[in-house]
Amino acid sequence: MFGPGESSTIIECTANTTCTTLHAIGTSLLLFIVLLTGFAYMTLWERRLIAWFQARIGPNRAGPAGLLQPVADGIKLIFKEDVTPRNAERVIFWLAPLIKMVPTILVVAVIPFGPPITVPWFDGKWYRMTQGLTDPNIGVLWILGITSIGIYGIVLAGWASNNKYAVLGGLRSSAQMISYELSMGLAVVVPVLLAGSMRVGDIINAQNNPPILGWYVFQNPLAAAILFIALLAEVNRAPFDMPEAEQELTAGYHTEYSGMKFALFYLAEYIGMITVSLIGAAFYLGGYHFIWVDRFPLLGPLVFAVKVFLLLSGMVWIRATLPRIRYDRLMMLGWKVMLPLAMAAVAWTAVAVFLAEQVGKELTAVFAIIALVIFFAGAQWWLSRAGRKTPLEPGAGRIETVSLSEQARGR
Amino acid sequence: MDFSTDVQASVLAVLPEILMTILAVALLALDVVWPDARKRDLGYVAGVGLLAVIGVMLVLAPPPGEVSDQLLLGGMIRHDQLAQIFRAMVILGGALSCLVTMGVPRLQHRGDFYAVLIVAVVGASLMSAAADLIMAFIALEMTSITLYLLVGYLRGDVRSSEAGLKYFLFGAFTSALTLYGLSLLYGFTGETNIYRLGGVLGRSDLPDGAVAVSLALVAVGFAFKISAVPFHFWTPDVYEGAPTPITTLLSTASKAGSVALLMRFFLAVFPPAGLLGALEGVKDYSALWVQLVAVLSVVSMTLGNVLALVQTNIKRLLAYSTIAHAGYILIGVAAISTDKSAEGAAAVTFYMFMYVLTNALAFGVVILFANATGSEQIADFAGLSRRSPWLALAMTLALLSLAGIPPAAGFVGKFLLFRAAVDANMVWLALVGIINVIIGLYYYLIVVKVMYMERGPEDGRPVRVDTPYVWALGIAAAGVLLFGTIMVSPLVDWATEAARALYILL
Amino acid sequence: MELTVESLVFLLFSLITLGGALMVVTTRNLFHAALFLMLSLFGVAGLFALLTAPFLAGIQVVVYIGAIAILIIFAIMLTPQVTAVRPTNSQWIAGVVVAVVLFALLVSIVTPLMSELGVEGWSAVFTEKNPPPVPADSMARLGEAFVDPQGYMLPFEVASVLLMAALVGAVMLVRPARGAEDEAPQAGAQE
Repeated sequence: MFGPGESSTIIECTANTTCTTLHAIGTSLLLFIVLLTGFAYMTLWERRLIAWFQARIGPNRAGPAGLLQPVADGIKLIFKEDVTPRNAERVIFWLAPLIKMVPTILVVAVIPFGPPITVPWFDGKWYRMTQGLTDPNIGVLWILGITSIGIYGIVLAGWASNNKYAVLGGLRSSAQMISYELSMGLAVVVPVLLAGSMRVGDIINAQNNPPILGWYVFQNPLAAAILFIALLAEVNRAPFDMPEAEQELTAGYHTEYSGMKFALFYLAEYIGMITVSLIGAAFYLGGYHFIWVDRFPLLGPLVFAVKVFLLLSGMVWIRATLPRIRYDRLMMLGWKVMLPLAMAAVAWTAVAVFLAEQVGKELTAVFAIIALVIFFAGAQWWLSRAGRKTPLEPGAGRIETVSLSEQARGR
Repeated sequence: MDFSTDVQASVLAVLPEILMTILAVALLALDVVWPDARKRDLGYVAGVGLLAVIGVMLVLAPPPGEVSDQLLLGGMIRHDQLAQIFRAMVILGGALSCLVTMGVPRLQHRGDFYAVLIVAVVGASLMSAAADLIMAFIALEMTSITLYLLVGYLRGDVRSSEAGLKYFLFGAFTSALTLYGLSLLYGFTGETNIYRLGGVLGRSDLPDGAVAVSLALVAVGFAFKISAVPFHFWTPDVYEGAPTPITTLLSTASKAGSVALLMRFFLAVFPPAGLLGALEGVKDYSALWVQLVAVLSVVSMTLGNVLALVQTNIKRLLAYSTIAHAGYILIGVAAISTDKSAEGAAAVTFYMFMYVLTNALAFGVVILFANATGSEQIADFAGLSRRSPWLALAMTLALLSLAGIPPAAGFVGKFLLFRAAVDANMVWLALVGIINVIIGLYYYLIVVKVMYMERGPEDGRPVRVDTPYVWALGIAAAGVLLFGTIMVSPLVDWATEAARALYILL
Repeated sequence: MELTVESLVFLLFSLITLGGALMVVTTRNLFHAALFLMLSLFGVAGLFALLTAPFLAGIQVVVYIGAIAILIIFAIMLTPQVTAVRPTNSQWIAGVVVAVVLFALLVSIVTPLMSELGVEGWSAVFTEKNPPPVPADSMARLGEAFVDPQGYMLPFEVASVLLMAALVGAVMLVRPARGAEDEAPQAGAQE
């Protein structure tokens, strides 16, 4: 296998300034390219997948199997007229898409994508470096902080557009994001407790013991579910896409945006999906760990990518399946259901960690099994209860249509 | 100085606070569980619960004798006699406020109101015992923030909302200044425990100006809490606008806790050189705050009394009277630096105790009267003696106590204060105080005159007195009367014992 | 004053903090004021990071920028009069004078202390070459201090009780009136 021989010198990259700089620049560029490509093909994949769910074909004209569709979309968006409403708050109108987009990309900086690798360089030495930009000891805090800045993009866009639909969309989204951020924060506390560190790399590595079964989703499925739901709300994806509910608000906060500024929002949404999937996978699905990753570090990013891809497809599936929930119910769910459950999940893990420290590590497995049983029993009870409650009131059978204009969001 | 790590003693030291927190949560739960018709009884649960906390505290948790055992929980609080007696009066003030709330139609069935009120009492109680800058500030904020909410509780009432906003703006402003002062002190010494801080400050070589500025900034917060001039502007409006039970709480629990913290803080952080032992090179900053307190005292007394002369609303009158009383109390505080016999501190403690009872009594009568007649004007008190002789008697007792006339406890309190000032070589302060007492007599006696001499339009209709009021006013009146006559010496003994604890620093 | 990278970054963040704060109180648009407040808070986070306190910096961003400032903006979006607000009243001159005097006072008391703190003049703060190392487990120690009975357990718990009361109070203030008996003005009576 590709790797340094016995006699070659290995240098830690962090000890070498040149290497650190080159590594930072190289990784940033690589991440940027991967994310942008990911965004482009995510849009295509979503449209194809939804089409498939709805027994349609989806875009398949541009290039083989529609693979050039994103390119066509991009060209179209670049050449569209970029309209700024006359009474808009110009500077903020300009800034908002950037404020929305930049944080979604920044989040990726603290996530490692694989175990450290050793790379040969032209000077004949081998350099050991991390896969990923950096892994600070406040990684989790960074993720929470940076994602919370993203809200500003939406709020500012809504306010600066000087349009009532946009303002309403902005208000809705800020209320929604604040509400769900609490549950998200609590759900993130669980992996921090289990791993005993706020470094994302530590959290990922702690889940490899034992492989696969050590993933935190098995330790605390409730918290994992809450995190996933909260992340969906955080990126305003269906069924939490209230801020841009077109039946009520035309397009919500980006009603007045067009051309490249609109494209930035579009970009931010899809990159946001990718980054939150990264977060979810890193915190609960073992990150880059699967089998053999320890032996072949370069497999790490690949495994990670597969997990992210599955999560993304899950998001599309949810969008194709579930109708948008009403706004008051959304708030009710966030405050009265998710928040208490998240607190219970944190308390559960805290007790588990404490007892495991006192008694022995075997207790972790016991707690995990109990948690899984309770989770599935609870889910079963809740779903069966939800299914039984069907004496229809007049008007309750009104069907919420899935809007076709969603398909043409590229404008 | 090491802090005690005894677990049992630590729990006992914060037992009243723990019990009160449980009581607050229980009230919130009962508020949900009980049917609406029964909710008025929440007031009994709160009031009697608080009285029970005092009992438990006095029986179960006598403070340990050794000073080294008194600083507990990492030095955050000091469990001594001073904390004990001030906690007793703070919680008593809270209990009486809860009982009188039961007569206010819009508040009596509100579990959340009682719960937040009790949290305010917890804050004031912690203030009495706090021995660390961090603890002191959190306790201060705990009473402030809850009181902002309670003052503005009557949402439909413009005056209540205005009072809440005013209290909040003033409080936030002074809190910020206080915090700045505290952070300067921490920056100078690197200590947050006030007992350690005093030693470090005394031995450091700081310029007087630096210490004076930080002292003055901290004093702003205390002056606000006890409504001393020039931080008194909020007092009349807030006293008038707030729900009267909260006015009671403001003038009793919140004030008592602040006075305890004020004495403890000044004496520990800027101790007179003698107190720190015969160590070489200890610098004495106590003159700074003694002068400051004396000036504040004179201004507060005079301004409060003079402005009270022209008031027509009874709550505003009592508000200006409270400013004047802040002045009287500061006389005693100014006297605590010089005498080691603890006369000044004992006088302040006694005075505060009687002031809590007296004010609870006065405001209790005001609420009853306002409920019956819908007025808080002094002129409308006319003929109260014929409508309800007992109520008029209770009010008279309260006013006599405030004025400082013998059968009531106020006389003993004022006497002790002025004697302490004279013993501390501050005769002039005592003289100013006596002149002020004479001014005060006028407006207090006017109310008595209106009640007894003048005839009102509704002379025949008696004012109904509910059971909780019988209890609340009974306790307060009995206290005022007994501590003014036959029970003087036990209370003075307790206060003196408490005051001695103040002087044991190291 | 020796210009190092640290001092430049420090100056930058100070400028952001102070400039933002100044704009908050002078701008005539409430919405802009909120945004400048956010900028100012961001500068503070940067200063924390510069002082090798990354945890505080992160908390500053999460709590102040992510939660408090957004709530302020939320409230402003529900405010009818947002633009053309007069940021001053008739007492602004007095306010400026007091602020300047207070600032001068504080500077004058801190300046003589600098030599005692081991700093040479105002510029020295930029050029400290060997700041004491930050312990690697500072975050763990911070966490332990909060739950250690000999540390800050009592203030920590008391603060949580205070937050509970504040929460109850917030609900109390915004809860809709329940029934007539609740809000009915009682003919002149205040209580």
